[in-house]
Amino acid sequence: MTRILVAGSHILERQESRISLEAKGYQLIVATDIKTAVGLFLEDPPDLLIVERGFAGNGELDLVRVANACLQKTNIPIILVLPREEMVAGIDWRVLPVDDLLERPVAPEELLLRIQLAEARRNRVFDNNPLSKLPGNTSILNAIQNALADSEPMAVCYVDIDNFKPYNDHYGFSQGDEVILMVARVIVNVIDQVARQRSFVGHVGGDDYVFIVPEFKMVEVCEKVLANFEAVRNLFIAPEDVKKGGFVEKDRQGRETRFGLLSISIAVIPTGHGKFQHSGQVAAVATQIKHKVKALDGNNYLIDRREGYFPD
Amino acid sequence: MEEVRRQEFRTALRKTKNLPTLPGIIAKLCKMAEDPDISTEQMGKVISQDYVLSAKLLKLVNSAFYGFPQRISSISSAIILLGFNVVKSLIISASIFEVMEAQDVELWQHSLGCAVVCNVIATRLGVKDPEEVSTAGLIHDIGKMAIKMELPDEYQMINRLMRDRGISMRQAEMEVLGLDHAEAGGWLASGWNLPKKLIEPVTCHHDPRLAHEEQLASSIIHFGDIMIRGLGYGHAGDKKVPMLSKRAWEFLNFSPTDIDEIFNQVEEKLWDVKGFSLEINADEIIQVRD
Repeated sequence: MTRILVAGSHILERQESRISLEAKGYQLIVATDIKTAVGLFLEDPPDLLIVERGFAGNGELDLVRVANACLQKTNIPIILVLPREEMVAGIDWRVLPVDDLLERPVAPEELLLRIQLAEARRNRVFDNNPLSKLPGNTSILNAIQNALADSEPMAVCYVDIDNFKPYNDHYGFSQGDEVILMVARVIVNVIDQVARQRSFVGHVGGDDYVFIVPEFKMVEVCEKVLANFEAVRNLFIAPEDVKKGGFVEKDRQGRETRFGLLSISIAVIPTGHGKFQHSGQVAAVATQIKHKVKALDGNNYLIDRREGYFPD
Repeated sequence: MEEVRRQEFRTALRKTKNLPTLPGIIAKLCKMAEDPDISTEQMGKVISQDYVLSAKLLKLVNSAFYGFPQRISSISSAIILLGFNVVKSLIISASIFEVMEAQDVELWQHSLGCAVVCNVIATRLGVKDPEEVSTAGLIHDIGKMAIKMELPDEYQMINRLMRDRGISMRQAEMEVLGLDHAEAGGWLASGWNLPKKLIEPVTCHHDPRLAHEEQLASSIIHFGDIMIRGLGYGHAGDKKVPMLSKRAWEFLNFSPTDIDEIFNQVEEKLWDVKGFSLEINADEIIQVRD
């Protein structure tokens, strides 16, 4: 069932609009002021947002910004409703990043069609991880390719969680999922705060992530990701295990083994200066660096500082 | 007190959606949100001085769809997991007092002061995560605000009863509602999916004996509440300093020297937050009703 947040008092002016949408099984949540709309969005993000232009103080900008920053559901389609005279004046879509628009007064049949179209379009381009909602492998390959072609030196960073498998066996998969989600949020929020421009975060799957940031930001981002992870980690570990500094669980061969607490390893591959031709080469080097960084104890990141490409 | 009425109040309090906070705090945070050089941590510092916003932040991060139900017990962790945008949105959606009253500011100060004392004591006792305990101290009186907002008529009666009979707020709550603000705060905290580590100290801050798992935290908040009242920082709704629970006292096991040192540390820390609350109050017109 698709939940639609309708922000504004003119979108459902005609009664048929509401009736036809509800008949199709859409659940409508209506907010006539921005404060309420933002609150509703935060508490329980909808699957689709329809917002009208013309709130006091351009409040619609705030709402669109909240929707675009929503991590639980990436790609929430946003439809903007505005009167014709505003269309004549033109709109800067960089300031108001929405997906579609509708003319006011809204015709009920068009409203329904536009909503269905927005849903269909979203499903066509969806390769997101179902748990973290972050972009998956297709998007990651594209993002790496774009980084290689970028005129600014970028760094591709591979993150994985140490001791995740035994943790998952020891604490159960639902807590394992929480940790996967926690790491995703730590990474996304750090990048959002310190390296928002030109960056990318993807989720390969399981406890593997990739993020790409400008090279001059890579150290700051890695340090902050590790520090933030360290700050919240203990909330996901039983106090007695924290005290002991680890837990006992069977290893891959089925032997009882003592594992340390969760930690994070990041392999950082700067891609500037035409070192790589394609993403496969980046992955090959990442495997080497990952191997080295995972051998270290605790939270670490390791940067490939070599001048050329060494696929050994 | 018949159970039916208690149940009615319970239902009314459970419906508490959006508790208001001080306009000065929201104004300050809005200014910060506009500034590109402000970090999430800096905003977190301001948020963690406000018991209503802090409770809201914890409610968000522990809500089912954020994926960490009943797990996150400190403001700094909540901010790391929610991120800058959500924190900003929280501020946009925050509701503020329509009419500011002196007592709202004073309850706010009392809550903040209690958090300061809890932090000093928890650190001193070597508690693993002192911030968790100070967070519980910060939101310990959230039930008072819920009663005020959701049950305005009863709230008036409670105040009248306090004035006329010279009894404590808690006694008056018991007579009017058949429950007290600690219990109400506990329901609120559990309805918001907060971790047990926070629910128990809120529920048991007047009687730490009731705590099952969080005896120590409950005792610390119980003592913090008493100490900050004794210091006259802020105002918790009445002038009566609650009875010190013998059990809590035995649990904390402080010597007179300990108490002296705690006093000094608390005084020092209060100076920091005093500056902040002056700043907050400076932009506000406080209307005092009798």
